[in-house]
Amino acid sequence: MIPGKTPYLSVKGTIRSIVPMAQDNYLFDFTERTGSLSGCRPGQFVELWVPGVGECPISVCSGRVSESIQLMVRRAGRVTSALFNMSEGDSVGLRGPYGQGFPMEAFKGRDLVMVAGGLGVAPIRSVWQYALDHREEFGRLVLIYGMRHTNDILFRQEFKFLLRRRDIDIFIAAEEVVGPALPPIAMQLGRVTDLLRQAEISSDSCVAVCGPPVMYKYVIDVLKERNVDEANIHLSLERHMKCGIGKCGHCFIGGKFNCKAGPVFALPEIKHVPEAIECDAASLQGGLE
Amino acid sequence: MLSPTYFLPKERFPDFLNALKSLGQVFAPVKVSKQSYSFKAVEKASEIAFEALRTILPPKKFFYPQSETLVKFEDGEIKECIEEPVFKVIFGVHPCDLAGLGIMDTIFEDSPGDTHYLRKRRTSMIIGLSCMPDKHCFCQSMGTDCPEKGYDVFLTDIEDGYFIEGKSSQGQKLLADAFADKVLERAREAHKDRYKRFWLDRSEAFETGFKVDNLRSTMDLEWENPVWEELGDRCLSCGNCTPVCPTCYCFDLVDVAALSSKQDGSGDAERRREWDSCQFVGFAKVAGDYNFRPGPVDRLKFWYRHKLHGFDDAYGFKTCVGCGRCTVSCPSGIDDIVKVVNILQVARQEKDEGQPK
Repeated sequence: MIPGKTPYLSVKGTIRSIVPMAQDNYLFDFTERTGSLSGCRPGQFVELWVPGVGECPISVCSGRVSESIQLMVRRAGRVTSALFNMSEGDSVGLRGPYGQGFPMEAFKGRDLVMVAGGLGVAPIRSVWQYALDHREEFGRLVLIYGMRHTNDILFRQEFKFLLRRRDIDIFIAAEEVVGPALPPIAMQLGRVTDLLRQAEISSDSCVAVCGPPVMYKYVIDVLKERNVDEANIHLSLERHMKCGIGKCGHCFIGGKFNCKAGPVFALPEIKHVPEAIECDAASLQGGLE
Repeated sequence: MLSPTYFLPKERFPDFLNALKSLGQVFAPVKVSKQSYSFKAVEKASEIAFEALRTILPPKKFFYPQSETLVKFEDGEIKECIEEPVFKVIFGVHPCDLAGLGIMDTIFEDSPGDTHYLRKRRTSMIIGLSCMPDKHCFCQSMGTDCPEKGYDVFLTDIEDGYFIEGKSSQGQKLLADAFADKVLERAREAHKDRYKRFWLDRSEAFETGFKVDNLRSTMDLEWENPVWEELGDRCLSCGNCTPVCPTCYCFDLVDVAALSSKQDGSGDAERRREWDSCQFVGFAKVAGDYNFRPGPVDRLKFWYRHKLHGFDDAYGFKTCVGCGRCTVSCPSGIDDIVKVVNILQVARQEKDEGQPK
């Protein structure tokens, strides 16, 4: 009769390390004592709370079960700016993990194509880490990563090692050269869609996609050109999941809560839902809000 | 066995009110201006506006207040904010609002249960009251005109008294006690006849409505109907339609830092939820300034879809209960659900007839 604990209660997460990545992106490593966040699956997210400032949903970017939880955060708004002012040893609130994540079990035994755009590389990293940790259970692995500027590349050190592996094919591209020099990473000029056209992709591959909302329509079009079955295309949809537990309504897509039913959907589940994929980019910049 | 039904003569209503007051604080519709009513705490029967049809805000406000603190950050620790609720008796809730409470219950009970709502809801009693529809009522079209869930006791006005049914066990206990105290009588055949007559008369009394059997498919098929643009052009995005809706539950979560704290997460703070509206421009905005519903027409359509097409996937029901509050509170006169549905249905019918057989 008497309800239990509030579902909005965070646990205390302590910053163990902060690694500055490209531009305004830092990789935060948190420890948390209760263990409630261990077992995050690739594609799931947590709510990060800076008390007095606010909460924001951040996707988990490590596919390994360990005592710490890694979040790649871009300084963009109030909450992330406050987080960037913190130091190792400081604490935040964390709750989760939420959402369904990528269906890694269903991907097993198949070729897996991972498509990341911009900061979308963070959740996709949890997918490749998982796949590489269970390498013999997957077919070919293809990783496609596109970004706007050459100096936006995230996980640069990790890519140096990944590019030496023979059991994963990696394609990286940036739209523009910005910065002192090309990073020591094999990279071409172009977009994610260009890479998708170059890569060898078997039509029965499974695909995991995460990137900015505008990218999806074009990625889907190219995957269809490559005869990939719609049912095998899994997209992580961007919405502002404010509560994370299917109550606040901010992430509602058609008849579904992105935070509970998603954020990862197979294309057939959402292709007929109004406004699931189409969006108006920066329509209100400098506008009403 | 059917649960017993009772009769309460109107002159004995004050005694019934006393029985309610012995359980907790009683709230009922009170006249607050020439033409508006509001659920407020009452002491005497004379304060209650029995004629009230729709209150400004639906009774959701008792269990889901406009603003409430969920979690606190105090002395460096994260703590749950638990408020022990006072037992509330809400009197005079009409069938549309009962259906609304039923929908709110489903949403907040769904796992993980919202303890803040549930704690308040489970220390309450809901007393339903019959009503006669006015020109904006269309609960009949939405199938919410007969009380089904969300209440403990229901009173049907049969002229000189009330025909009373108990639904929940706490409701039945209240009635059994009031019967033992001679406040209530057992309902007799004559009362039952008048009760049946009332509900028949009521079902004939609706002035407005629409066919519901094809509502969902109509919403899908008429998604590009020009009426949406017309309505969107007139929508002010004021968000009036959402707080007055018995089933609008969307909220924002905001932090309120203690005056003494610095804006870096080092001081005490509260995490609070506040009613939000899908009609506001930033509601569906995401990182990178993408907006999934940038224009008033996108947001209005979304709201209509949620109400009339609803949660097919998440819960399987429509969320409009036909109370007419949005219609009367819309400053642009565009939240006329009945009118919009009729326009869509006519458009669909014309297309159907145009199809080769």
